[in-house]
Amino acid sequence: MKAMLIDATRCIGCRGCQVACKQWNGLEGEETSFLPSQKETAGEFANRGYQNPRDLSAKTWTLITYNEVEIKGRLEWVFGKLQCMHCGTDSNDRNKWPACVVSCPVKALEKTPEGPVIWHEDRCIGCRYCMLACPFQIPKFEWHQAWPRIRKCTMCYDRLLHGQGALWEPACSKACPTDAIVTGQRDALITEAWRRIRSNPGDYVNHVYGEHEAGGTCVLHLSNVTFDKLHYPTNLPNKSLANYTNWAMKGLPYVIVTLLAGMAGIYTVRRSKIEAEKQFSPGIESEARDHD
Amino acid sequence: MTSAMNTQNKGFPYRWILYLLAAIGTVLIVKRFIYGIGAVSNLNDAYPWGFWIGIDVLAGIALAAGGFTLTAAIYIWGNEKYHPLARPAILTALLGYVIFVIALVIDLGRGILIWHFFLPWMWQHDSVMFEVGWCVMIYLTILVFEFLPSALERFNWKTLLRLWEMFTPVVVVVLLSLFTYVMTYSKTWTTTVFIMAVVFELLQSIRVIPRSRPVPVLLIMAGVILSCLHQSSLGSLYLIVPHKLDVLWYSPILPVQFLISAIMVGPAMVIFEGLVSARVFRRQPELDLLAGLAKVLPFLIASNLLLRVADLVGRGAVVAAFELNLKSVMFWMELMIGGVIPLALFGVPEIARTAKGMFWGALLVVVGLFLNRFNVAVVGIEARGWETYTPALTEILISAGIVSIGLLAFRFIVRNFPIYEKPLVLAGK
Repeated sequence: MKAMLIDATRCIGCRGCQVACKQWNGLEGEETSFLPSQKETAGEFANRGYQNPRDLSAKTWTLITYNEVEIKGRLEWVFGKLQCMHCGTDSNDRNKWPACVVSCPVKALEKTPEGPVIWHEDRCIGCRYCMLACPFQIPKFEWHQAWPRIRKCTMCYDRLLHGQGALWEPACSKACPTDAIVTGQRDALITEAWRRIRSNPGDYVNHVYGEHEAGGTCVLHLSNVTFDKLHYPTNLPNKSLANYTNWAMKGLPYVIVTLLAGMAGIYTVRRSKIEAEKQFSPGIESEARDHD
Repeated sequence: MTSAMNTQNKGFPYRWILYLLAAIGTVLIVKRFIYGIGAVSNLNDAYPWGFWIGIDVLAGIALAAGGFTLTAAIYIWGNEKYHPLARPAILTALLGYVIFVIALVIDLGRGILIWHFFLPWMWQHDSVMFEVGWCVMIYLTILVFEFLPSALERFNWKTLLRLWEMFTPVVVVVLLSLFTYVMTYSKTWTTTVFIMAVVFELLQSIRVIPRSRPVPVLLIMAGVILSCLHQSSLGSLYLIVPHKLDVLWYSPILPVQFLISAIMVGPAMVIFEGLVSARVFRRQPELDLLAGLAKVLPFLIASNLLLRVADLVGRGAVVAAFELNLKSVMFWMELMIGGVIPLALFGVPEIARTAKGMFWGALLVVVGLFLNRFNVAVVGIEARGWETYTPALTEILISAGIVSIGLLAFRFIVRNFPIYEKPLVLAGK
């Protein structure tokens, strides 16, 4: 299973990956502004004001975030990278599926055996349950289109599958000048991530983000500051979110059978009683029923 | 709902307000289909679901619960005196579901493709949304069958009525088995459900079990099963967002809470609607029957309240209720308006027996339910700090427009079909 390893300590914030992503996927540019939005506090603006554009959208599938963090008494920039995390480590196990895949009613989202989570335009009905379910707020919607699509990073699935020579890796990973983004087999990258942590004591926090988050993702992050400083969600369980909902679906046939049997039983008992009352005392049947 | 309340004002041209709202809504719906959802709503990438899901879908479907709770009480429990209330409740449920489907096609980005639910190679039975979709479609079919006698009687089609009585059980058996298969892919479960339904029907036909006539009881039972599953699945939708829904609302027993609160609001809605429609259509309300329902309500409200509080205590989320912020204020409003106050009102027999007392009590329960569903869908959802969502006026107007169309349809059907047993006084308008 393919994965990407993103090392914040190697990132210089050049945003070449953002440009490469737009080019390869043919995404439009965005109009941006250097003004705080209405609800932004000064602190939030300091953190987000310098990234461009502010957030992911249907037109922007990856984004380098600028986070101002105090390290040993100095303020430093630490760069994060937003993109689809391609959750899940096993495409065959429904209990390990990503939240978006599990929530989609028409299989428009698919966890591929190669690793990427992709969206099928010919299936989607636009219910946006995937957007609600995604713990990383990745799927985006074309709000101003009459025939809107769900848009998100595909880990350049087309390149992974068909890319020739040096074109096989995702565009952002290919473009990165400092190898802050590398692509490879997930197991190998986890080994490499821990090697970097162990052989550079003090340079990294002791955590490979994505190794276990939401059941394990195919995008892994390393950083020199804790991941909450990069505004990555840190309240996620270590198992797939599928586990929070699939018990309800598995219980369904039991509910159907119990209700069917229960109601049939109640009906039989009650009806027989009412009919018996009718036979013995036809005159007071309505009164008898009123006592219920 | 504002439109529904307008309907009480006798002599006031409420009908024209409904036409106006329906017209505005239609124009906005056209705009939505040309310029996209973003042009008529404040929904955004951080809040992909909002007012429409909370009000049209979650609350709207709960208000249709009068249909299955009442039919269960009448046909399964055998409380036949409530019979006069059955048809209005079924009609309300039917129209509620039709409205819901219209609202859904507007809210879905690519709603025309909703038939993808029927394509076996797209079935994804782990998705709660998949269950919701199938529940809607099957229950809507069952509601049509429950409503059919009114239409057939209207035109006095006796043969068709007999055919309906004959074939309805067959249709129900097929629908139930199909539903079970689609939800489980399991031949064992499907066969089990199929055999249970067929045996029950056969036992009735050889009179081992008394036969229910003219309404086949299996139809009612299927309606109850599908309703219970649908109501609870709307709660299950939010099981997948433990990280996004506030602790005051997120609970592993959300499906149970949604079901219990729907069962609670069912009778309240029947009372509310019975009183309002009596006023609007100038007929005598079935006060004694409504008062009978009002006697059950305190128990339902108390169970719902108890479940809610026990769940909060059990999860240790009570602390969050005593922080002062929008969420906790909305939580207390929900608990007071939909629980404590109506419980007090219906708990006093002197108040619960009067039309006025029942009206206000039932209205509070309904409003409380709206608040609950709105809180789950909008207030309780936490996106990142700088992201906000406040429903746009146009969003609300579209919902109001659809509800107005529903109320006008209700009015038309009540005037043209045998829905109420007590004849309407059609003088005047």
